[in-house]
Amino acid sequence: MTSTLSVAAPAGPGQSPGPGGRRPFGKSLLARVRPWMLLTPALLVLAVLLLWPLVRVALFSLQDYGLREIVSGEPNWIGLGNYVEIFTSEQLWAVVLPNTVAFAVLSVAFTVMFGTAVAVLLASLGRVWRTVVSSAIMAAWAMPAVTGTYVWVWIFDADRGVFNHVLQSLGLQDAPVNWFTDRWSFYAIVLLNVVHHGFPFVAITVLAGLLGVPKELLEAAEIDGAGAWRRFFSVVVPQLKQIFAVVIILSTIWDFKVFAQVYLMPGGAGSNREVLNLGVWSYTESFGQNRYGFGSAIAVLLTLLLLGITVAYVRTILKEEEL
Amino acid sequence: MRRDMWTRKNVGAVATAALVALGVAACSSGSGDGGDGTVDGEGKTLDVWIMQGTNPSADEFFDDVSAAFKEETGADLNVEFVEWGDAHDRFVTSIAGGTTPDVAETGTTWTPEFADAGALAPLDEFVAEAGLGDDLVDGLVEAGTYDGELYGMPWYAGVRSLVYNTEIFEKAGVEPPTTWAEIESAAKAIKAEFPDKTAVAVPGDAEFTVYPWVWGAGGEVATQDGDTWTSGLDSPEAQEGLKFWTGLAKDGYSSAGATTWRETDVLDAFAQGDVGMAVMGSWTPGAIVEANKDMEGKFAAVPIPGKDGGMSPSVLGGSHLSMFSTAEDQDLAFAFIEMMTTGEFATQWGEQAGYFPGQKSLLDETLESTDPLVAPFAQQFVEGGASVPVSPNFGAVQAKLTTSTMMQSILSGSEDVETASAKAAEEMTSLLNDGN
Repeated sequence: MTSTLSVAAPAGPGQSPGPGGRRPFGKSLLARVRPWMLLTPALLVLAVLLLWPLVRVALFSLQDYGLREIVSGEPNWIGLGNYVEIFTSEQLWAVVLPNTVAFAVLSVAFTVMFGTAVAVLLASLGRVWRTVVSSAIMAAWAMPAVTGTYVWVWIFDADRGVFNHVLQSLGLQDAPVNWFTDRWSFYAIVLLNVVHHGFPFVAITVLAGLLGVPKELLEAAEIDGAGAWRRFFSVVVPQLKQIFAVVIILSTIWDFKVFAQVYLMPGGAGSNREVLNLGVWSYTESFGQNRYGFGSAIAVLLTLLLLGITVAYVRTILKEEEL
Repeated sequence: MRRDMWTRKNVGAVATAALVALGVAACSSGSGDGGDGTVDGEGKTLDVWIMQGTNPSADEFFDDVSAAFKEETGADLNVEFVEWGDAHDRFVTSIAGGTTPDVAETGTTWTPEFADAGALAPLDEFVAEAGLGDDLVDGLVEAGTYDGELYGMPWYAGVRSLVYNTEIFEKAGVEPPTTWAEIESAAKAIKAEFPDKTAVAVPGDAEFTVYPWVWGAGGEVATQDGDTWTSGLDSPEAQEGLKFWTGLAKDGYSSAGATTWRETDVLDAFAQGDVGMAVMGSWTPGAIVEANKDMEGKFAAVPIPGKDGGMSPSVLGGSHLSMFSTAEDQDLAFAFIEMMTTGEFATQWGEQAGYFPGQKSLLDETLESTDPLVAPFAQQFVEGGASVPVSPNFGAVQAKLTTSTMMQSILSGSEDVETASAKAAEEMTSLLNDGN
């Protein structure tokens, strides 16, 4: 971003086209520079609001930065100490990373599958029912993560929850079970919560794509004898590749840094060490332990990880296009 | 620690305070009547943060305080209520941004932490000038003293005892317990009579309900030797206490949900009439009735029983009023602190919220109360009060949820008492000694 700014800087009005002979060159320079000039205000805002905090976090991550440093404002450099501690932490490899990665993979898969299924359903509905169903799923989308989490916590509550009540009335279990204490059932509930909250975005986006798929292609495929599944995977999906790319990348980013949905669950704030993920770990270390440097280092790693995934994914998509 | 805090440890603090008092009194005019008309706050505004959580609403109380403060000093009072749960983060961000209030309520375990960071202003001079040095409750003075200086003005303290549902006890035909064996037999009788109710709530995420059993069995949470702390959670005594307390849950007298309960969940369940007995704070009776009017008169309290009679010590939690070093007019800030922590308003606050005042002369009055929902707590406060480790690092132990982690892994059955307490002790020791 800094490089783009320095490109934009010399592009002031003084650089406008010279005398006639150099006109074509001058025009092309102006043409090249003009978009950047127009973008400069927005980029400046982004730099202040996004880039600067990012730089600060990166700088903090190289320090042992606690409450005392905050008060005094003095830096306290320790090089890569925080990163060394993270990478040698048993908790990272045994709990935090597996939880984060496995959860993200599963929730992206389920969100995209379910969202696509709902989109297909929506596409096949008439106008009235499509409005009804899409309003219903919008409600799930509009619900704040905190509210949604409490609703799920309430459903699975051990003593007064609906879920235990149903299981017991059906005779499937004798005594109430606390579903929040076990790592697997804990994340199953988080998965339900996150998929429930995330699928409407996928459904609406994919629906938009589905409506744009030319009818002729589908009819032609049908005449050639392709069944519904075949038509979907061989005709529709390739058409929607770009849309799936966007949806998957965004979902991956969201599901990697899931925080409130874990932190607010019983035991999720750190008293059940089995269920820590990167987001909660970073938060409890920085704000609970006043170790802002260490927490920042975790945040930097999370950012790099997400950047890596995104770049890799975008590159595969682009490569396939070139073929 | 523990009861000794009232005797052994505070000798130093009181001595220091007394010395400072002597020193300052010599140069002050000595008009220590507290009604300092000397403070002129005309046209100024004092920013104050007050915590809120399980105590009843305080809006009206602070309206009165504002009016009185305006009358006394001419300054306006700007009170902001901050949730306990968010407060630590709020303090830290405001310290970072230099936007701290002039005065704030700080939990006793936070005061040394913020003082250590250099965010608070020492109060000894002001206290001495007001002639209050000898009239402050020792345990709170000790908790508010860091590096020999007082940073937190004792405001109020609370203590947890055993609160029980009198209806459930009567129907089950049991008397309030006085020993651990009686707790167990009472729980058994309640469970037999009410299989669907929680006979005794053993919450997994409420550290202050755990320490009484550790102390009651003769164990220690942590002890200090020179500069080194050692957690005693894995001592045989502490483990005996933990085994008793978590054993109640293992025997089915608690509930499955309680494994992840916090104190607020205990309060909710108790207010619904679903709990036979639970360790709850002196400030909760008001909140129980506020949550469910039907509970009025249907519950009572006893001090937490000792193993073979007597009392198990319970944590004295409390709040200080602290002055931040960013306060522009320190005299004005202290005028507010003094108004809140002494005399009429301190008494009112204690009565309304169910807390014990931080001023000795007021505390003595409260302790004479015969109210059945005050007297047992008062007895616990005086005879069975104890303190968590007084260290700027104890906040880190709390934030790490060391004790809750131990409790949850025992209650969920994933670890036994020996393993879980050994892990917790190791973590607590290392956090307490982390000398940053």
